[in-house]
Amino acid sequence: MSDHPTMPAEDDDMLAAEVALGLVEGEARDAARARMLQDRAFARRVADWQERFVAMTDDITPVNAPARSRKALMARLFSARRVPLMQRLWVWQGISFAALAAVAFLAVPLLQEPTVPTQGEVYATRMAAEDSALELLAVMDMSRGDIALRRVSGAAPEGRVLELWAILPERAPISLGVLPDGDVSRVALPADLAAEAAQITLAITDEPPGGAPGGVPTGSVMAAGAVAEL
Amino acid sequence: MNSDREEIERLIAQVAMGDRAAFEALYDRVSAKLFGVSLRVLDTRAAAEDAMQDTFVKIWNNADRYQANGLSPMTWLITIARNTAIDRLRATRKGHQDIDTPGLELAAPGPNPEQSAVAASEATRLTGCLDGLEADRGAAIRGAYLEGASYADLAERFNVPLNTMRTWLRRGLMSLRECMSI
Repeated sequence: MSDHPTMPAEDDDMLAAEVALGLVEGEARDAARARMLQDRAFARRVADWQERFVAMTDDITPVNAPARSRKALMARLFSARRVPLMQRLWVWQGISFAALAAVAFLAVPLLQEPTVPTQGEVYATRMAAEDSALELLAVMDMSRGDIALRRVSGAAPEGRVLELWAILPERAPISLGVLPDGDVSRVALPADLAAEAAQITLAITDEPPGGAPGGVPTGSVMAAGAVAEL
Repeated sequence: MNSDREEIERLIAQVAMGDRAAFEALYDRVSAKLFGVSLRVLDTRAAAEDAMQDTFVKIWNNADRYQANGLSPMTWLITIARNTAIDRLRATRKGHQDIDTPGLELAAPGPNPEQSAVAASEATRLTGCLDGLEADRGAAIRGAYLEGASYADLAERFNVPLNTMRTWLRRGLMSLRECMSI
């Protein structure tokens, strides 16, 4: 690049102009980038050229972008939907700081690809109750239409099963089914509950084997928690 | 003009603090200009819309580095829009490399970077100075800036060897700088 080794400043300034235009390629470009980080005078030259060249846009007429563009941008930047689920769990306010590490650990088996942004709302809750050792973490993933559950502690009383309920204001408890044995399970969320998802309180009762007769809870509430959006 | 500049600088500073309302205000203030620039480079509306969205994502993510680069606020914003649009234009080409976004890698951040020495009055002389250059040189500089043409593209366009093209363009840049600083 050194056509005039006796005029290094001049060469620098031409190189700076080429950088500003995007004409520097390959290794020379990498070198120029590295230099801009360390050599403030050189970075200054590049900025000066950018300041000069920008005048080429002076006669470009402003054009209003369509409203959908603005909407899409704001959704892209600010919608929680773009945030990976694990990240949402970390910022979840509904759980104590001390439990965060446990949540992260517990959440992993719930989520198949925890770092992939999920497209729908996600709600979560920690289900517990006084006088009960049973504790579960529940994550409602609306894009999948299901609830992932992870048992933290406790179990069904001898000879009983655990049944999951969705509780909504002014409605009878809606059975989401008997929980299978095991610490981790997935339960489908009925599609007609999706619109009211944010208001759901999840509860678990102990019921006779086979589940609550007649679809009405009969046992005691062993754990419950209102969902919060992540 | 000065109050415009201060207002936009204030908005960028607020955006740097993560202020969404300021970001929306900044968008409403400058998006039409940036969309115009994207359209000028990219021709198709869909590509220009995408490029402008990418531009604003970069603005949101890098506003905290704006102070470090010494550019005037509109230059910073327009340069991001221009570079983003040209990166998109070049993305289809072989061996594509992104242009740097100003503020990303420009200058080690310092407490009080000096503002660009290039005065606004100097910058406004650019168009006249470009027109005053030998026709091909002015066209080459415009081609590089507004169309993202590489040296190889320009050499082909003007039907000269690559090294000749480089020499031409550098001479053009020197004349340009001289003309603008008078």
